[in-house]
Amino acid sequence: MQTTKFPGIFESQVGRKRILLTKNLVKGRKVYDEYLHTEGNTEYREWNAAKSKLCAAILKNINQIGIKPGDLVLYLGASSGTTPSHVSDIVGSDGFIFGLDFAPRVVRDLVFLAKDRKNIAPILADANKPETYATRISTVDVVYMDIAQKNQTEIFLKNCSLFLKNDGYALLAIKARSIDVTKRPSLIFEEVRKLLEREMKLIDYKALDPFQLDHMMFVCKKK
Amino acid sequence: MAQNYLFTNLLGSFVFDGQFNLIDSINFNTLDDYSNSAKHEQKLAATHKPKLTTQQLLEKPNSKILQQILPYFKDKTNFSHFYSQNMAMTAYLIKQAVNEDDFIIQAINNVEEIDKVANTLAKRLREWYELYNPEFSRSIESHEMFVELILSKTKQELLKEIKHDENLLGADLKKQDIEPMLNLARSIRELYSLKQKHTDYLENLMDTYCKNIKEIAGALIGAKLLEHAKSLRHLAVLPASTIQILGAEKALFRHIKTNSRPPKYGVLISHPFISRAKQKDRGKIARALANKLALAAKVDYYKGEFIGDKLRAEIEKKFS
Repeated sequence: MQTTKFPGIFESQVGRKRILLTKNLVKGRKVYDEYLHTEGNTEYREWNAAKSKLCAAILKNINQIGIKPGDLVLYLGASSGTTPSHVSDIVGSDGFIFGLDFAPRVVRDLVFLAKDRKNIAPILADANKPETYATRISTVDVVYMDIAQKNQTEIFLKNCSLFLKNDGYALLAIKARSIDVTKRPSLIFEEVRKLLEREMKLIDYKALDPFQLDHMMFVCKKK
Repeated sequence: MAQNYLFTNLLGSFVFDGQFNLIDSINFNTLDDYSNSAKHEQKLAATHKPKLTTQQLLEKPNSKILQQILPYFKDKTNFSHFYSQNMAMTAYLIKQAVNEDDFIIQAINNVEEIDKVANTLAKRLREWYELYNPEFSRSIESHEMFVELILSKTKQELLKEIKHDENLLGADLKKQDIEPMLNLARSIRELYSLKQKHTDYLENLMDTYCKNIKEIAGALIGAKLLEHAKSLRHLAVLPASTIQILGAEKALFRHIKTNSRPPKYGVLISHPFISRAKQKDRGKIARALANKLALAAKVDYYKGEFIGDKLRAEIEKKFS
């Protein structure tokens, strides 16, 4: 088990495959069907790149993710909590996550996850309407967004301007197919990049294939 | 000069001055405090006379003021409070979110799944039973009837019924080898009666929740439309052209991507108007049907009066 350049994230070699792991915050508990690895007294959870865009981005050598232990994260599109559980491992018990999703069905799973992990606050709200949940959260260190919506860049910028602290990092996972199925993904990514650069400082972006097709992860910083 | 701002969130009611320093607050301990926040707000407003209150701040989320207030709450000491309040509120919202849409979607999915399971098991039963009495199994098409009959009558009676006096291919089985087959048949019969019960339940639900859709499309197809649209609210805002091809998403996206021929209908295909029609009329009827369904969905969602029979009659008149 070796450390990576990102605090809280570890890597290991399985055969010829490089895998990422995070320290399990709740010992002995699995969140989805991931493998648990024990080394010494610590337990690590294997991070599945096919299920998590953040993991895929790190494996593709993105140069910054901005999430570190002790951070306060706003996670838009938390779904049932696969990636949030790893983010919760990274920020640790000193950090905190506001996990937001729109569909009651998946937030139900998120609530059960949050019962185990006291550093996730599940929120049922529409990311497109920040004013409806502004009374439920505070300013945050990092905004992470992974929602498959047509206007996801707009939603992202709206949330960043209201909730992200100055100089805070913001990550955006874009699914080209949910913006326009007919357009070439590279054109869509170009458009998104232009939109982002208007309001944010773009740090890095990486395509997520082969883990996720037609996806791109953007890392920005608030100006 | 009152330059104060009053902001209420899950944690409490807070008054900030013009430089965004906290000057007064009331903390909330439970979600009930937050639900009754108007009372607390009034109390604070009376003493501090704020320039803007929560309501006005939220109306303009992009004004710089809210962005100056929110950092105040970014503090490790608030985390556990945020956790418990958000847990309580989300639990409440999830409970509130359950409605007839969910019942209908679960019921229709269940009816379809029972159908699938019963079919699979019935095919197995026939395979098994044909060792014993193949002539009868082949003479009857409907699984449901087949199961019913082999349970109620003996092999001899059944053979007499199909006027097949001599048994040509079936083996004579011992009672202990017949009994397992009949046990399976009993379970399948149970499944069919369960399906009937759930279909009745679905019909009742649709009758109270979306009468007009049910009148035009029938309970099963109406429910399938709801399932694809996820909710009546969404179905009511969908254009008729989308309703027409709900359930044919794969063909639609293939059409958009590769310019293949567009689908004419999705779940509507099993509607009697369409399945009865000639091939060349089907697209037209699907379009007309979807038009009327779009109207019906809107009427149902906004709790209008019953116009389903009129809409149905219009289509019938047009295509008879």
